[in-house]
Amino acid sequence: MTAMVSSAGRRRSMDVQKIILLAILVGIFVFLSLAAPNFFAIRNFTNILMQVSVIVMIASAANLLMITGNFDLSVGSVLAFCAIMHAYLTKQGMPIWASILACVAIAALWGVFNGVMVGVLNVTPVIATIATMYAARGFAYLIARWDGGANITAGLPQNFAEFGRTMLFGQVPIIILFMVVVFAVFFFIERKTPLGRFSYAIGGNLSAARLSGINVVGVIVALYVLVGALAGLCGIIQVSRVGAAFPNLGQGLEFDVIVAIVLGGTSMMGGEGSLVGMLLGALVVGLAANGLNLFGVQYFYQTITYGVILIGAVLIDLAVHRKA
Amino acid sequence: MSDEILVEVRNLQKHFPGVRALDGVSFCIRRNTVHCIVGENGSGKSTFIKTLTGAHQRTAGEILLGGRPFEPRSVGAAIGSGISVLYQELNVVDDLTVQENLTLGKEQSLLGFVRKPRGLEAVKEILLSLDPSIHLGDMVGCLSVAQKQVIEIAKAVSTNCSLLIMDEPTAALSEQEVGRLFAIIRKLKERGITVIYISHKLAEVFEIGDVVTVLRDGQVVDTLQVAEISRACRDVPESCLRIVRLMLGKVVVETYVPRPSTGPARTLLEARNINNTKLRGVSFELAEGEILGFYGLVGSGKTEVARVLYGIDEYEGEILVKGARRDLRGVRCALGAGFAMVPEERRADGIFAGLSVRENIPMMRIGSILAKGLLSRGKENALADRYIASMSIAVRDREQKVALLSGGNQQKVVISKCLNREAEILLMDEPTRGVDVGAKHEIHEIIRSLASKGRGIIVFTSEMPEVLHLCDRIVLMHEGQVGEIVANGSPAANSDHIMSVVAGGR
Repeated sequence: MTAMVSSAGRRRSMDVQKIILLAILVGIFVFLSLAAPNFFAIRNFTNILMQVSVIVMIASAANLLMITGNFDLSVGSVLAFCAIMHAYLTKQGMPIWASILACVAIAALWGVFNGVMVGVLNVTPVIATIATMYAARGFAYLIARWDGGANITAGLPQNFAEFGRTMLFGQVPIIILFMVVVFAVFFFIERKTPLGRFSYAIGGNLSAARLSGINVVGVIVALYVLVGALAGLCGIIQVSRVGAAFPNLGQGLEFDVIVAIVLGGTSMMGGEGSLVGMLLGALVVGLAANGLNLFGVQYFYQTITYGVILIGAVLIDLAVHRKA
Repeated sequence: MSDEILVEVRNLQKHFPGVRALDGVSFCIRRNTVHCIVGENGSGKSTFIKTLTGAHQRTAGEILLGGRPFEPRSVGAAIGSGISVLYQELNVVDDLTVQENLTLGKEQSLLGFVRKPRGLEAVKEILLSLDPSIHLGDMVGCLSVAQKQVIEIAKAVSTNCSLLIMDEPTAALSEQEVGRLFAIIRKLKERGITVIYISHKLAEVFEIGDVVTVLRDGQVVDTLQVAEISRACRDVPESCLRIVRLMLGKVVVETYVPRPSTGPARTLLEARNINNTKLRGVSFELAEGEILGFYGLVGSGKTEVARVLYGIDEYEGEILVKGARRDLRGVRCALGAGFAMVPEERRADGIFAGLSVRENIPMMRIGSILAKGLLSRGKENALADRYIASMSIAVRDREQKVALLSGGNQQKVVISKCLNREAEILLMDEPTRGVDVGAKHEIHEIIRSLASKGRGIIVFTSEMPEVLHLCDRIVLMHEGQVGEIVANGSPAANSDHIMSVVAGGR
C-alpha cells in the first residue's frame, strides 16, 4: 500500500517540477505582455527564440549527458573555436559547405577528446572538460592570430553570411529551424533508442550498467561527441549570422546550458530528468533575460538574476524531491 | 580477579523491519579475557557490537556493565563508559602526523592556536610500549595498515578504556602483522583490558581467544572455553569440526533429487589451472544441463571464481567454452563468450532502482525489444509481462519502480534480466540471499527448469542446504583452492565431510 502511494508520488514529483516551471513561464509571459510595451510582437518572440536556440540545441545533447551523470564545461569554447575556424577556412578559400562539414567534424573531435578522458581514462568530468575549455579557447585566439588580428572581421567571402541569415517564410531565422529539428531528434533519441535508455541506466546505476554489458564508454563518448558537434554547429551559425568571428564568443555558455538543464529537473547525479523539462528551463531563462532587456536592466544585474534563478531552481528541486 | 564479570548481556533483542537481527542474545564477558565472537555473515555480530556501543538502540533486553545497567545513548556515551571500538575502516587522518592523530579532538587552543596538549606523555608511553617502531613525527599516510591500527589502539587505551572491541582486525593484515597484532593484544591483557575479538577465522580464535561465543541467525549457539576445545582437538581431530558445525548451523537438507540424465552431455565449460591474487590452480568442468555448486566459507575464493568467469578480475590459465579457448577480459567479452551473471550485491550491481520493471528486464539484451533498430513499446510490454508471469514477480503493474519491490521480487527482476540474455552459461552468485523462503523455493525451481533445458548453471553460495539441495556436483573451495569436487548423491556429499573440507582443506 505504502509502496503504491510513494510510487505515484515519485512520478508526480517530476511532473510537479514541470508544472511549477510552466506556471512561472506563464506568469512571466503575462507580466511582460502587460508591463512591457514592446514584448507582445512577433519580432520580439523571434528574438527570444533566437536567444534560447543556442542553449536549447546544445542542452538537448547535454541533458542526456547529464542523465548519465556527466557534463561538459567546454561547450562555449568549442563554439568559439568552430566559429573562428569556419571564418578562417572560408577566408582561405574553402567552399562554405565544405568548411561547415569540416568544422562540425573538428568539434566532434573535441567531443571524442572529452569522452576518452572521462570514459576511458576516468578523469572527472569537471577537470577533463575544463582542460578542453581552456585548450579550445586558446586555439580560437591562436587561429585569429594566424589570420593576423584579434578577430576575423574583414575579407570574408561574399556569400559567408548567407547560411546564417537564411529566413524561412521570410520570418523565421534558420537557427530556429535547427533548434526545432535538434530538439525533435533528441526527443526521439531519449524515448525510442537504446542510446537514450542506456543513458538512464548508466546514470541510475553505473556498476549494474557495466555488469549488464552496456557499452558504457561508447555511450559516454557518443554523447560528448554529440554535445561537441552541436556546439560547433551553433558557432558556425552564429558567426555566419553576424558576419564576423570573435574568439571570445560563447563565454559563460556552459553555465547557461547547465542552468537550463537543472531548472528542467535533471539531477546533477544522473539517472533522472527529461528533455521537455530542459526546454521549459531554457524558455524561463530566455524570457527572464528578454524581460530584463526590455526594461533596460543592465547586464550585470541580469547575471545576478541568473544566479538567483539557479539557486531557486535547485531549492525547488530539493523541496519537491524531499516531499516525495 | 579474572572471574569477575565485566559485561553481562541478558536476552538482548534488536529488530529491524522484517528482520530479527538479534533474537534473545545472552552471555557473559569476563574481565581481562579475550572473548571471541564468531559467526557467518548475517549472524548478528555487527549488530551486537553496534548495540553495545550505542550506535543502535536495542529493542529489548538488558546489558550490565560492571554489574550496573548500561544504556548508551550514543557512541560518545559508550566511550565515556570505557568501551572503545577498532573498526575495520580505520579512523585516522592520513595527512596528519602520528602525534596530531593521537591528540585529535583533544587539542587545547589559545587564541585560536593549538597548544601542546596535556596528556601527551601518557599516550606516547602507551604507543612506545605497543610498537616502538612508530615515531611521533611520522605522517600517518606513510604507515602500514597494521601501524595505523596500533595508533588507534593507543588512542583507545589512553581514554581509560576497559573494553576494546576489535571488528575483524586482521582482514587487511599480512601474516607477520597478524602475529604482531596478537602480541599487542597480549600486552593489552597485561594492562587489564578486556578484548572482544570478532572474526570468522577459526585459527585466530584458537591462537588468541580465551572464550568463544558462536552466533547464528541472531542467537547464541554456544559459549565455549577455547582451551577446552583445543585440548579436545588434539585428542580427537574430528571434534575440531564441532565449532565449524556450530557456526554453520544444523544442516537441514531437503533431499536432492537427481534429475534424469539425457545421456552423456557435452562439456560446456572447462577451466584449467586458473590463478590470480586470490585463486590458486582452480580447475573444473561444467556440462550442458548441469547445476554446479561452489561452496566455501567467507574468503574461500568462490566469489573470485565468479568474477574471473564474468571477465571482471584478471587471471592466468585457460578457459574453454565448448572446446574453444576464450580470453575473458572484461564483462562484454564474457557476455560474448556466452556467460551471464546474477551478481551477489543485488542493489549495488543488479537493479536499476529508479527505472521500472519494464525498463529493467531488457537491459542485458536490448535487441530483444528492438524493431527496426528502435525501442518497440509493444515488444517491451510483452517481454515484461511474460517474465512477470513466468517468474511470478509480485508487482502492481509493469511500470512500478524496482526500488519499491521487496528483496525477493527485486531478485526475480535481476534473474529475469539475466535470463533474457539467453546465455548458455549462467553464473548465479548467492541467488537467494536476502530472499524469503517462498521466493527461495521458486528461484530453485527456476534454476532446475533452466538446467533441464540444457543451460549450464553455476551457483555460488555460502548456504550448505542450498548446494546440497540444488546442485548436481559441488566444488568445495578452501583458501583459493579447490579442496574437492563431490558428486551430489554420493557418500562424500554429506555435511560433515563438506565441512571438514571447507574448514581445513581436507
